Amino acid sequence: MSGGHDTHSHGLNLTLHVWRQKNAQDTGHFETYSLQGISEHCSFLEMLDQLNEQLLREGREPVAFDHDCREGICGSCSLVINGRAHGPDRETATCQLHMRRFHDGETIYIEPFRAKAFPVQRDLVTDRSAFDRIIAAGGFVSANTGSPQDANALPIPKEAADLAMDAAQCIGCGACVAACPNAAAMLFVGAKVSHLALLPQGQPERRKRVLAMVEQMDKEGFGNCGNIYECEAACPKGISVENIARMNREYLCASLTARPQGEAKGGF
Amino acid sequence: MLSRFGAFLRSSIGKKSLMAFTGLLLILFLIAHVVGNLSLYADGDGAKFNAYAAQLEALGPLKLAAELGLVILFGAHIALGMRTYLENREARPVRYKDLAPKGRRTLASMTMPVTGIVILVFLVIHIIDFRLADFSKQGLAALVIERLSHPLGAGIYFISMGFLGVHLWHAFQSLVQSLGFRHPAYLPAVKTVGMVLGVLIAALFATFPILCLMFKGQWPWN
Ligand code: FES
Repeated sequence: MSGGHDTHSHGLNLTLHVWRQKNAQDTGHFETYSLQGISEHCSFLEMLDQLNEQLLREGREPVAFDHDCREGICGSCSLVINGRAHGPDRETATCQLHMRRFHDGETIYIEPFRAKAFPVQRDLVTDRSAFDRIIAAGGFVSANTGSPQDANALPIPKEAADLAMDAAQCIGCGACVAACPNAAAMLFVGAKVSHLALLPQGQPERRKRVLAMVEQMDKEGFGNCGNIYECEAACPKGISVENIARMNREYLCASLTARPQGEAKGGF
Repeated sequence: MLSRFGAFLRSSIGKKSLMAFTGLLLILFLIAHVVGNLSLYADGDGAKFNAYAAQLEALGPLKLAAELGLVILFGAHIALGMRTYLENREARPVRYKDLAPKGRRTLASMTMPVTGIVILVFLVIHIIDFRLADFSKQGLAALVIERLSHPLGAGIYFISMGFLGVHLWHAFQSLVQSLGFRHPAYLPAVKTVGMVLGVLIAALFATFPILCLMFKGQWPWN
């Protein structure tokens, strides 16, 4: 056994409890693996790559997990690490997490994002297409804007632009759902609703959009927000729960004022 | 029109905002309730408190309407709370080994269903104790003092007020968020006011079992 002080030369020895599940029907279970000599300079996903190489050498099935860009911009990676979505750090996706955050001899539990709306497909891979369906319900601007116009043709107040950009940082990873004790998707939907509600391009469909997106969110089986704000703490992009409040008032307002389709005639 | 209201009520945000709105009205009720109760301390024989009770009684149909309103408020708040609790459990059928804190949860925010259920049980005891009891002979003040002078009665009331305090700690800022009124300029004030208000209401209510147990209605300041 190497002591904590000389991990630099020998690397980290870890005990991993990894969630293994053959398919969506399987009930799944934790399996225990030990890994030796993991460099503290490698990322969490590189550590899993090494685990998979080891499993392949032993003739066993590698662990399936989602990843793509590995630089915190695509929203593919997930994982709940020791009970925390995207691991222990703030504003850090799992792919940006370093093994130096762990110590030699540490035991690490690795689970998929858990929610009814995110069914596990295999091991740590979940189906997060519920988010795509919420976007398809209204998270876009349907007017054809043609070719890019002059930058200053459409004046946007600085504050609105800043807030919209903050909301638009959402990469749709689903950590908000994973970290929420109620498995609610309010931070994701709040960010998407806010981002368009704050900009002039989003105005024509503003009311219809929030009603349709919230309806789809509820249909997907996400939980109800309890204002616990763990989503904000887990979000790799630091999206503020202010976006949830904005969605709440957009929804309340739209519920009161949206006109049924084809009824927008006015007069008596 | 009706279907639109129905759709609103079935939606997650509709349920949350209605829970927030009923919660706000219930907080206002608690403030009125505790301020009225303080009249128990005004004299040694409970005359002021009994007069206050008689005044409410004299409102007749208005009092009945107010009680009906309270039943609706409590009923809606409790029903929505239970419904969302069950839905939230269903939203995560396979639990985590241990969902660890990421840094924003509080004891109060994580235990709203639990503290809510304790308050509901207390509410039932409380209504049986004082609303359904017959106090025509000794008067309400004497009944209250008698009940709360007993260690068991005082204990139940005191502990329940602890749960109420924890529930209210989260309640106010949560309802402000649910109703969509959040702005960085007044967020700190909302948080502080909510916590102070919650603790103050619960603490004032908690003085009744403590002081009744200690002085049995013979207030040292009278
Ligand atoms: S892999 Fe793209 S954000 Fe992590």
